Amino acid sequence: MRPHLIALAAIAAAGLVLAYAVRDAVVLDLVFTLLLYATLGQSWNWISGYGGNISFGHAIFFGCGAYTSALCVVHGISPWLAIPAGAAVAALLAAITGFPTLALRGHYFSIATIAVAAIVDALVRTQGWLGRANGFELPIAAGWASMQFADKGWYVVLALVLFVAVQCATLALERSRLGYYLRALRANHQAAASVGIDERRWKLIAFAWSAAMAACAGVLYAQYTLFVDPPSTIALSVSIDIALIGVVGGIGTLWGPAAGALVYVVLAKAVALKLGGTGKGYDLVIYGAIICVIAALRPHGIVGTIVDGIRRRRGAAAQPPARLAAEGAA
Amino acid sequence: MEALTTFAQLLAGGVLTGLVFALVAVGLTLVYGVMDVVNFAHGEFLMLAMYATLGLALIGLSPFAGLPLVAIALFLFGIVVYRVFIRRLLAGPPEATVFGTFGLLVLLQGLAQALFSSDFLSVPHPPLQGTLRFGGLAISQATLAEGAGALVLTAALFAFVEYTETGRAMRAVAEDRVAATLMGIDVQRVNGLAFGIGAACVGAAGALLMLSYPVFPTAGAPFALTAFVVVALGGFGSIQGALVGALLVGLLEVFGGFYLSPELKMVPVYLAYLAIVLVRPQGLLGRR
Repeated sequence: MRPHLIALAAIAAAGLVLAYAVRDAVVLDLVFTLLLYATLGQSWNWISGYGGNISFGHAIFFGCGAYTSALCVVHGISPWLAIPAGAAVAALLAAITGFPTLALRGHYFSIATIAVAAIVDALVRTQGWLGRANGFELPIAAGWASMQFADKGWYVVLALVLFVAVQCATLALERSRLGYYLRALRANHQAAASVGIDERRWKLIAFAWSAAMAACAGVLYAQYTLFVDPPSTIALSVSIDIALIGVVGGIGTLWGPAAGALVYVVLAKAVALKLGGTGKGYDLVIYGAIICVIAALRPHGIVGTIVDGIRRRRGAAAQPPARLAAEGAA
Repeated sequence: MEALTTFAQLLAGGVLTGLVFALVAVGLTLVYGVMDVVNFAHGEFLMLAMYATLGLALIGLSPFAGLPLVAIALFLFGIVVYRVFIRRLLAGPPEATVFGTFGLLVLLQGLAQALFSSDFLSVPHPPLQGTLRFGGLAISQATLAEGAGALVLTAALFAFVEYTETGRAMRAVAEDRVAATLMGIDVQRVNGLAFGIGAACVGAAGALLMLSYPVFPTAGAPFALTAFVVVALGGFGSIQGALVGALLVGLLEVFGGFYLSPELKMVPVYLAYLAIVLVRPQGLLGRR
């Protein structure tokens, strides 16, 4: 536990220094995006990594936060209130959609999350009060009260706070009854059920937390870009980006989503900047190739592989089964 | 009378759309049935087939003449992808096949964008531009050819899996990999063939679709998304299930688009999926 807290403190310190010292808007933008996606990846990791229910619809919870934030601002309510409100809406949506679907196994659950997300997307696009396909442009009003800052460094600070909070929550999850039950359910749901673990109950709790954390990221995103519409928040492509970040880093691990977000931001975003915009497709070629290589050669993800390596060196077990090692990674 | 004509028109449109979905979906379900892999890059294989058909059309081959060539090319492409890539994914944890094939999706879309740009491209002077009229019904010849061609090819695949020695081997591997190995079936060869045939299905579908659709880097994605729903609805691994699911989805989409609004046309499809898997978690014709 201690090394993780030290690492977190180091990241927080480095982030604060960076937010204070760096004035390059492009760098700050990349760091903000990195922290935001690391948070989103971790929130996905709760239900899909630790819980083992791979979701391809996680963007709708991100969208809950972003839309709540936009609605608050448009109706003259403080965006700070959007954090609890958006999180509550997302948790409720997760509970409603999770109650029937979390009982589905494997790909049937994954396709169900696509179905739910597509229905939400289609409904948002037809509702006038949600801005239809056009979405919302948020009025500019700098200052703490309106959670808007001319200096991008403050956004990095807020994203850092959220990231550290979510990492601490995940650290707590790994040591909590919920965390142990989720891992037991993922390893063998029948065995877990036979010792009295109520699968639906615990997965619903994990799903609600997971959705609430994604919504917090959504609020921050809306206040950062000051623009919310379906393609940028709730679309399938956003859900898939979140899921890929989760698996590339290593699912069910504390640092996996952060590692995945680093790969994503450095390759998909920074390479795109270098190659002049996303129109050419070279960034996708590179990012796709990296995912393919990791999937084929390091299927437990970046962090899963490192954990395997550490175990092997320590000789904790003669032949640690890689899957268990990834699950037990702490 | 007019309402009846509209209904018949929608019915015909739904069935013909559904048949094309079926041809895309059977390739997906065959691969799933044999090796438990959902190929998320299936739609990108379709997109490649559409570009290949366009390329052949530009040197003077109509999509009909191009169809067998494109199907063979995709068959070989599928076998190579299996040998080089999918085989390695199968050695890893289950999620490796999920994100590995997603990586392939991103890679192929990026390649298409880099090579062919994001423009919508169509076959110049495609055949079958007329419209057939049956009483009050109007059906474009291209749509009819797409549906009929897809039906014939889906039936051919079904017959192949059901009645040939190789098809029997595939079903044996699908049922029990270890037992099949003990019976002397080369599982790697069967897997490779199944992956190749799955790709050949979208090869043929891509050639047919170029009769009336344009191609662009993400052209395959909506078809693949529908195919995932179709396959899950019918039951992963079931060819008959894919056909039934595809017809259902085709009808729901066409009727939904007409009676609700074009923006909401997929909502009935997804609602039907959720309703069906909640009652039958293994899909309509799937095994547990």
